[in-house]
Amino acid sequence: MKRTVDVNIPLGPIHPCFKEPVRLKCEAKGERIVGVEVELGYMKKGIERIMKGRPWQEVMFLAERVCGICSVIHNMVFIEAMEQISGISVPPRAAYLRVIANELDRMQSHLLANFSYCYTIEHETLGMYLLDLREQVMDELEHLTGARVTCAYIIPGGVRCDIPRPDAELLQTSLDRIERDLRRYSGMFADGPMIALRSRGVGILTQEAAQQAHAVGPTARASGIAADCRLNHPTYRQLGFVPVSRKDHDNYARVMVRFDEVVQSIGLIRKCLQDLPKGVIRGGGVCKAGETRYSGEAPRGELTYFIKSDEYGRIVDIQIQTPSIMNIEACCHEMILGADSIADVTSTFVSADPCVACTER
Amino acid sequence: MTTYLYENDLVPQKYRILVAHRHDTLVRKIALELDIPVQELRRYLIEHLDMMLLENLPARAEMADVHADQDDPIARALGREKFTQYLQILPYAAMEPIFHEVSGRVHAGTPMEDAIAYGREKMREELRR
Repeated sequence: MKRTVDVNIPLGPIHPCFKEPVRLKCEAKGERIVGVEVELGYMKKGIERIMKGRPWQEVMFLAERVCGICSVIHNMVFIEAMEQISGISVPPRAAYLRVIANELDRMQSHLLANFSYCYTIEHETLGMYLLDLREQVMDELEHLTGARVTCAYIIPGGVRCDIPRPDAELLQTSLDRIERDLRRYSGMFADGPMIALRSRGVGILTQEAAQQAHAVGPTARASGIAADCRLNHPTYRQLGFVPVSRKDHDNYARVMVRFDEVVQSIGLIRKCLQDLPKGVIRGGGVCKAGETRYSGEAPRGELTYFIKSDEYGRIVDIQIQTPSIMNIEACCHEMILGADSIADVTSTFVSADPCVACTER
Repeated sequence: MTTYLYENDLVPQKYRILVAHRHDTLVRKIALELDIPVQELRRYLIEHLDMMLLENLPARAEMADVHADQDDPIARALGREKFTQYLQILPYAAMEPIFHEVSGRVHAGTPMEDAIAYGREKMREELRR
């Protein structure tokens, strides 16, 4: 629709504050943003098309390459969807190890997202502290799975490798150190007056608008919607998981929800290590024909795989609904509208933790 | 949007989004509901919605099925919130007079199906304007 506007400001596709290329065409009336149009297509992989017709053994590696930041959850949701289709059960020890890997992945993703936000509002000191903390979490993920990013840790009927007792003790010690530092950094963010000026009351996403756009993850939980797929996951239910939510609806709330969730993840990992059942880590099983819709809670929110497989475990059809699709849409069509300056556009966009690789697949 | 010489033509990319399996199922369902050809609806969506909104259409439709127009059966049958706030196919300002007219007809004794059919006709006129 063509409208007469004062200024049309294109941001991106390459922008210092964006981790990935995307173009936001902002319509401004003076400094106030009255409309945003999103242009995608700068990093389309066509990965769903590549997955079709391939056996699950190949697709599980492709799935974790959808996104380089939250690769573990793509691996987990794909494998758990195949397990649901084939009726494969997971040994209790493997189920707990999956939670540890998933929560470490969530921690590093949230820390990276909060680093990006601090960098965008030009608080580089705090940003670098968070990036340093993320590296420590990445090291722990590497200790557990053998790789930093594309771990392929979760396989049908279990996980690839166990955690030896010395490594478990090392992980406990690291978590203590990470939690101590994290509380200091989240306190710096929570009480920083300059941070509050750039974050409080900026990028408002009301609960109603979040619901209409199907916003998910920390973006929805910062708007008072306590939705989390982990509530429906049997292992998380055993661990007594309760989602974190806030009712501030702004950039500050979204960043603080992520900080709170990192602390929560540390608690969940501790509980898993403490209650880690004894036994095997691989139960075995054969992937069969079937069709399912399966959702898991990625760091950014609900990740859904629609999968149809044949009797040899080949993927006949697959559709991936990533959380960033909903969150970027809610961000650009709700949060950014009414922003008082162009500077708030980038900070609000980054506060929603947008992942363009996930969105374009 | 203001058009520049260097702007990409997004029509092929938007079309690819709309013919993906879940999107195609949804577009065909909406076309059937509004009784307009699928091609015409696709063209309307490509011209009026941006790429991100097109990508998010199935998720928005799911939320509309659960939450939209819970209290009013006439509004639910017509898709008052579904087509305006959730799918954003019609502007709210255009939908409100249609809804009030349909609601008035139902309260005046017109059978619900006939009133909704009249409302749909008005919605089609709005889409083709």
